[in-house]
Amino acid sequence: MKRTLILSTAICALLVSAIFAFADIARPKPSPAEPKTVFYTGLTIVPDAQTGRARLQISQTALERLKNASANNGGTPSVVQNVMHSSTRTIMAGLFMFLAVSFAGVWLARSGQRRNHKAIAAVLVAAVVFGLATMIVRANAGPPQYLRWWNLSQSLKDGKATTGPLDVEIVPGDDDLKLIIPVKK
Amino acid sequence: MQRAANISLVGWRADTRADARSSARTFALVLAVSACLSAALASWLPLQMSIATVFLFAGPHNWFEARYFLMRLPARFARSRNFFALAFAGVFLLTLAYVSLPALYYTGIWSGAHWPTAIASWNTLMLLWICALVRMRARQKAGRDWSWFAPLAFLLCAVNWLVPELFSLAIVYAHPLVALWFLDRHLRRTKPEWLGAYRRCLFLLPLLMAGMLWQLSRTSSLADDNGLFWRITQHAGAQLLPNISSHMLVSAHVFLEMLHYGVWIVALPLIGASGALWSVQTIPLARRRHGLPKLMAAILIGGLFVVALLWAGFSTNYAATRDIYFAVAIAHVLAEAPFLLRMI
Repeated sequence: MKRTLILSTAICALLVSAIFAFADIARPKPSPAEPKTVFYTGLTIVPDAQTGRARLQISQTALERLKNASANNGGTPSVVQNVMHSSTRTIMAGLFMFLAVSFAGVWLARSGQRRNHKAIAAVLVAAVVFGLATMIVRANAGPPQYLRWWNLSQSLKDGKATTGPLDVEIVPGDDDLKLIIPVKK
Repeated sequence: MQRAANISLVGWRADTRADARSSARTFALVLAVSACLSAALASWLPLQMSIATVFLFAGPHNWFEARYFLMRLPARFARSRNFFALAFAGVFLLTLAYVSLPALYYTGIWSGAHWPTAIASWNTLMLLWICALVRMRARQKAGRDWSWFAPLAFLLCAVNWLVPELFSLAIVYAHPLVALWFLDRHLRRTKPEWLGAYRRCLFLLPLLMAGMLWQLSRTSSLADDNGLFWRITQHAGAQLLPNISSHMLVSAHVFLEMLHYGVWIVALPLIGASGALWSVQTIPLARRRHGLPKLMAAILIGGLFVVALLWAGFSTNYAATRDIYFAVAIAHVLAEAPFLLRMI
């Protein structure tokens, strides 16, 4: 018993020292400012032999939405972004998740009723079914959106319009407008 | 002679059963028509209905709730003393914290970046308070295992820390439904013959909601170009759910609020849950020996003055009064928890 205790303490100490050893690793280089997506919309590229100037046409509604999205600093961040940028909240959520699982285990162990076990089995089955259903639905997802841009070169040669999805990004600096289109490798 | 008596008794029982069935059908019909009418009005004129219903019914429904809670207080707390002490302390302190959050924000003591953490902390305290109340109530109810509530509460706390603002929005939408639970418990006690019809009517609720969502999901968002309309759409979650039509959100919220007001102002008093409105003798604390009838009467009359004051405030400055009302009204949301637990 005593030996096990000493061994466990030694292993814990080793693990803790490993965590502190990470403090000696050099700080990572600050990554350059990433562009921030503020708006999702569609874009149509129209080759026009009649015009002498390149023009960018934006509808009044789209402009309003773009202004609002820009004013809101990119709009509402997603749940994942929220959690990624708040370590306190992630820690608290993890702590409560741990407590939930622990208390659920104690409750399950204490309750000798078959009915409870059946209810939990039903919940687990439902979770598995939902999980499988999610995977199946994902498997049937449509083709990726960049495929719409793959025929752009050919369409431009043929003088045809091409429409596809577009993320409007705000980038630091004072450069001109830039349109980045995914092309076939 | 005996046979004659049996025949008349059988006939009387059959008549009573037929009357009960008929009254239950009438009750169900009134409920269904009211729900459909509320859904139609909320879908058609969401902003107007929101303004009108809050103006007319917000104050009175709080008065009816206060009247109901007074009636549900036991004459002597006895074994429930600790339960009610925790309940009242929780309602008071949580309301104080809730009201002070925007006050602290506007005074600039802490920045808006900490807002989600502050909301998550408040929601956690509320959940832990309810968890403690459930635990105390479980001790009083022998033969019932409520220990499953602790993991559920912790799970909700975890979800709350992941998405605190959406969790708060969920409370806004879930709170009106609590009134339906109160009605269910009261029908079980006072009109058990109506309970089956009522529960069948509840199936109409998800159908109506689904119909509204389907019908309104493609509508354009409401024009929130003035301060009041903006407040109403924000209250319904338009900022948190930007990809969903604010018309749909406001309609769904107004519909649930209308049901909530209907239950507290019409349904519960009609089935006698609130007792005779003007008689303090229906309140156990006033009825008992060395009771407090004058204090109870003063609370009820004072409540009427508050309702009148609220109407005056809405008439003078609707937007500001609405903000103040929804901040302070968290007290009645919290107070429903212990009283509902006492009913279960």
